[in-house]
Amino acid sequence: MSMMENIINFTINGQNVEAKKGETILQVARKNDIYIPTMCYISKTTPCASCRLCSVEAEGLDGFVLSCNTPPTEGVAINTNSNDLERERTNIMKLYDVNHPLECGVCDKSGECDLQNKTLEFNVEQQNFSAKDLSRPIEHWGLINYDPALCILCEKCVHVCNESIGDDAIDIKFGGYSSVIIPKNSDKLDCTFCGECIAVCPVGALVSSNFQYTANAWELERIPSTCAHCSGGCSLEYETRDEGIFGDKEIYRVKNNFEYTNLCGAGRFGFDFNNKATKDEAAFSKAVSAIKEAKAIRFSSMITNEEAYILGELQEKFGMKLFNEDARLFASFMKAYSTVSGKKHHSGSLDAIKQADAAIIIGSRVATDNPAVRYALTTASRHNGAKIIYAHPMEDALMQNTVTQNMKHEVGTEEGVIALLANAILKDADLETQERAFFDDLDLGYLGAECNIGEEEIAQMMLSFKRAQNKVLIIGADIMAHAKAKNIAKIAAIIEKYSAFSLVVIPSEVNTLGVSLINKLDIDEDIIDVVGYNAKGNFVLSSLEFANLSIPSLNQQEGTFVSIDNQVLPTNVALDFKGYTLNDIALSCGIKHKNTIDCTKMLGSQSGFKEIEFDALENFLTSHGDDKRGYILDEVNCKMNGKLEAVDTLPEFNGTVIYHSNPVLQFNAYTNTTKQLERDTSLRGSAQFAQAAKISDGDTVEISFGAQVIQRKFKLDADLKGTIALNPTFDIPVDLRRYKFEKSKIVRMTNE
Amino acid sequence: MSKVYFSTWNGESINNVGKPVEEWEESAYNLPATYDDHRDSRAFIGWDGVALFDEDVDVIRLAMEYAAQYQVYSEACGRCAPGRWGGQILYDTLDKIARGEGVVSDLDHLKEIGQSMQITSKCEIGKTVPNPILDLMEHFDDTFMDCINNKKKSKHYDETIGYIAKITAPCTDACPSHVDIPGYIEGVRDLRFDDSLEATRQTMPLAHVCGRVCPHPCEDACRRTNLDEPISIMALKRLGADWETEHGYDFFHPMEKKPATGKKVAIVGAGPAGLTTAYYLAADGIEVDVFEELPVLGGEVTVGVPEYRMPWDKYLKDIECVKDMGVTFILNHKVSVDDMNRFEQEYDATMIASGTRISKKVRCDNERPEIEGYWGAIDFLDKVNLYEKFDIKLTADERKEYAIDEEFVDLTGKTVACVGGGFTSMDVVRCSIRAGAKRVVMIYRRDEKTIIRNTTYEEYHEAVEEGVEFMFHSAVNTMNDENDVLKSLLIDKFELVPDPDGGRAKLVKIEGASETIEFDYLIPAVSQSADLDFLPQDWNLEMTSWATIKTNGKDYMTSRKGIFASGDCEYGPMTIVNAVGQAKRGASVMSRYVQTGEVSLTDDEIMEDHLMKLKVYNKKEKITGWLPGLKREHSSVLDADFRKHNNEEVNLGFTQDEAMSEAERCMRCYYIAMVQA
Repeated sequence: MSMMENIINFTINGQNVEAKKGETILQVARKNDIYIPTMCYISKTTPCASCRLCSVEAEGLDGFVLSCNTPPTEGVAINTNSNDLERERTNIMKLYDVNHPLECGVCDKSGECDLQNKTLEFNVEQQNFSAKDLSRPIEHWGLINYDPALCILCEKCVHVCNESIGDDAIDIKFGGYSSVIIPKNSDKLDCTFCGECIAVCPVGALVSSNFQYTANAWELERIPSTCAHCSGGCSLEYETRDEGIFGDKEIYRVKNNFEYTNLCGAGRFGFDFNNKATKDEAAFSKAVSAIKEAKAIRFSSMITNEEAYILGELQEKFGMKLFNEDARLFASFMKAYSTVSGKKHHSGSLDAIKQADAAIIIGSRVATDNPAVRYALTTASRHNGAKIIYAHPMEDALMQNTVTQNMKHEVGTEEGVIALLANAILKDADLETQERAFFDDLDLGYLGAECNIGEEEIAQMMLSFKRAQNKVLIIGADIMAHAKAKNIAKIAAIIEKYSAFSLVVIPSEVNTLGVSLINKLDIDEDIIDVVGYNAKGNFVLSSLEFANLSIPSLNQQEGTFVSIDNQVLPTNVALDFKGYTLNDIALSCGIKHKNTIDCTKMLGSQSGFKEIEFDALENFLTSHGDDKRGYILDEVNCKMNGKLEAVDTLPEFNGTVIYHSNPVLQFNAYTNTTKQLERDTSLRGSAQFAQAAKISDGDTVEISFGAQVIQRKFKLDADLKGTIALNPTFDIPVDLRRYKFEKSKIVRMTNE
Repeated sequence: MSKVYFSTWNGESINNVGKPVEEWEESAYNLPATYDDHRDSRAFIGWDGVALFDEDVDVIRLAMEYAAQYQVYSEACGRCAPGRWGGQILYDTLDKIARGEGVVSDLDHLKEIGQSMQITSKCEIGKTVPNPILDLMEHFDDTFMDCINNKKKSKHYDETIGYIAKITAPCTDACPSHVDIPGYIEGVRDLRFDDSLEATRQTMPLAHVCGRVCPHPCEDACRRTNLDEPISIMALKRLGADWETEHGYDFFHPMEKKPATGKKVAIVGAGPAGLTTAYYLAADGIEVDVFEELPVLGGEVTVGVPEYRMPWDKYLKDIECVKDMGVTFILNHKVSVDDMNRFEQEYDATMIASGTRISKKVRCDNERPEIEGYWGAIDFLDKVNLYEKFDIKLTADERKEYAIDEEFVDLTGKTVACVGGGFTSMDVVRCSIRAGAKRVVMIYRRDEKTIIRNTTYEEYHEAVEEGVEFMFHSAVNTMNDENDVLKSLLIDKFELVPDPDGGRAKLVKIEGASETIEFDYLIPAVSQSADLDFLPQDWNLEMTSWATIKTNGKDYMTSRKGIFASGDCEYGPMTIVNAVGQAKRGASVMSRYVQTGEVSLTDDEIMEDHLMKLKVYNKKEKITGWLPGLKREHSSVLDADFRKHNNEEVNLGFTQDEAMSEAERCMRCYYIAMVQA
């Protein structure tokens, strides 16, 4: 009965249709493939309601009803076409065309422009209206150019920036005909440069400054693929074209299906990390010998599943070790998780986060670590009013408009924090005796004091979750190298098991998760005769500079990744690679696959992979936004023999602490090679940090931590608070075995 | 009612063209024929038509200037294609005709674009701006054709003429604080909660409070009522405020604080009126000292409105927002006659916002305050709230006086009668339930319908759910005591007898129906009066007949220059939003007064008063362009059995889904009115 009450039956153009509570007439029409024209509507945000084209008629009512923001009533008869509607829609198109610059010949949008399309659709042949034109200068906002003369004020950009991304960096300057888009509360655009505003712009008003005037939309070839910069698994299309008559094929730009998905700036603007090297036969034979003689292969997680699989085959054939600390630590975390949860994969997903009305995130500076998770949280915050708890030693200004409670804890105390959270969440849960004993044994006073989390903070969190229905716990990559990672995994598992929380564990790199499932990894040792595969070694095979043998980058290969959603996603060749691949080496070593992607179906059902050929994998979103990319890993049951370990002494981090965390848009050595992405390699800290470390803005400093000594410029960052500074890793890699917060020594080198 | 030369207002059709002035008809509406003390209006043009008070009005230019306002009033426009381009086309085309360059086809294009705007615009401005323009084109066709055919300018095209325009909306007009309601609802709808909050704070600094405990007169003027049900306007207000608080933002002020003017104002009382005055004066760069008698800030909303209706931590945010503008508060300072004289010397102006803090008597026999068990509502609520919100305990003397054993108001086992029928009495009975009283009875002279009208539907039903007994058509006749201790009340019963002559029905006592009921407490909550002992006698401030301070209700200056009054001490016990509205206006007048010495209203304020007189909301209007039958959302409340034992906020507020679906129902009924003075 209650289900029935939430369904509204009505008709569109005489056809019986039904709406769920909260759905609008336009949504129902689209679901039923009934066309209603729009210029300003975008599925992933609230309706902009500016274009008015989607007006429809309701039988028995005078006037039109706007379909994009009106839910139907029971029995209403909607008509989407009539002479009156046609006349008014045509008039609206005439208005849009008033003074619209006739520069389609050079406009970037030409050929895929909604204004062109709709002007043709409504057959606007003559113009009855005129208005005095205004001078509207073009704005240059770094990676983005804005031409207000082309802007139709649909407001899509403003909506996505706030509701999907969370930057809330642009605004409408209202003023009737002179209305324009402006940077919000700032003279110049101050944002994370995701470029989603460019993506959604239906005309040529917001464009990529790098792409502008370089190619026509119809000249570009589109290669559907998956972003290679983080584990978000964002779908994208590389758009390529030959550079001149004799030129090579190049990626001109990246686009995404903006109607349903988002893409960060690294994905959108950081596409030119392809390897231009050519065949070097001498290097190739050296590489084959090096592999045959290697004691170990060390590799990074910027790798396809298929390459990882071949490395596994080499390991088996030659008995060498495989080193990948990033994936090994992740695997170790998930293994501990499995011993309590009884299953191999975490239950949550980006979609679960988007639908959440309560979330806890711990162990990640997520806005820069994994923008896909940030965007999902933004959606949850705006569209569900989600209460979001951000447990971290540092607040993040980028998350302020999303997070509802910062739970700032002491560095290193994550185990204590998650124990305190679990204790509150599972207060009334029906735990087994020994599980209850774990909580009974917690010294809450000690934990609270050491973590620096007050009872009232926990109480406030529980109060804010009171009405929540869909909850998610998100564990970030900081945790993986924590000394007590395994126990944290078990506590996370017990929360997932006994509460309404689903769990998402963020893999740090694009295919950390895939590698953790495919490879048997050894603990990295400082030995010689190590072949590095996109990693350091005595002989290096790499898609980056300074390789002993060059291999293709991830945008030059076919294969698959496993994303944060446990989804196996295809990546495709955007640009050809002219040198050798790992499969060529494997062939020379007697491992025979015709193509690398022959391995796609062999990845292993014990980890949830399916036996599906690469070419059988789909890679698209339906017109309704359903994700038809690759497949989701099957669930795999595991033995439940894990026990929670008592939480004893929590570590203390006194003195100068730095946190390995990349600036916006930078992730790794690949993003570091791209042309458009800003490269801020400075150590960034607050005024408080500078004072404590006795350094000032602009100083060159020497930073020692672990066994590493590096030099950086110090930059004062007004958005930062507290006594921890941010140290980038995209340019100078750090030891992945080590916890991301490091006690360090900082010495001023010069004073400028 | 005023004589007009021509009027199409609200469908009337008055055309006195060619007739001598003495034969002109009167309009049926309160049109602003006189603009202010020294100016007559020549024309009034708005959403619903146009009225000319003078035959010399240049109608083409009037139409053109009205269209221009659409471009000027940026906060409401540029949000839809028909409005953005259409508005400009209307203006440009009218200007072209007015400067003598028009062609006949321009008239057709004007009609076409006007009609498109009427049908497809996003908000009522876009839909209504063409209305009076098309009226003028129809009725003054000759004038338009004359300019077109003879290529001549309209008759006053090159002259400087004063046009004064104002944006309004039915809800905004009905709100005593004139809050930009469509603006803050649009902020919710667009998920731009900072914008939403700033829209509210332009005229209303207490967004948390008025998002929770406002009786929302705006909802009685919501146009959506004509279609189905009014928007839940009040509840949508707290979203912006809650968002700011939850995300730990500093305060989103809608204005930048102006540089210091060197002027100083003293404010008596830190309740809603005092806080509001302080906020807007401080924003204008005026130094503000607020003197408060109580040990806590916030006035009656703090010590009167209970925690379960208005959580202190939320109100505190509103108060901190005011503080953030740069205001000095002096607590525990009961202002004296000497203080007032000193304020007059040391400050450039004074605002009296001391409220009404004396509970009026029930007017029954043997009503002697010294009887134990007789406890004024204001004092009772003070004691409850000071303990619940600030842990301020009863002193030994107070415990003796009120016959309370505990250090807080504990009514366990006691029986309480409250006489009232307004918000204060509701607070008394619901607090009594929470204080553990065995039996709580509200004694009210009139019926259920009236008590709902005087409070809210929710307030009454929540009280009933919590176990309050309502005794309607009843009144206390006598307090029965033994040795000055209340024992029982003799309660008379009444019935409503219709007036055979069709007049108002009368309450007539039912003889023999009176009964005596045992009670431990009688709490009078019938009304309050102002304690104004601190006013210097020799000032001879003019008073109203109900002993509040008199002003003209427009500039809020008292009969003494430089001394202003607002809120309950001016109006009598009324709503928070009324106090805020008065104080906002008062602050605006004071700001100019301390800087110029003049007491004046801005054009915007003059127009505001004109429109209130005219009334913006028309409950008979037929609404088109919207689908009727979309239900008003109601936010969830705590379960009665749970809430009656604690002080947790009863109303949980909207979920995001509820808020969004409610916000989407808003029709953005902005209108532009313009006077040619």
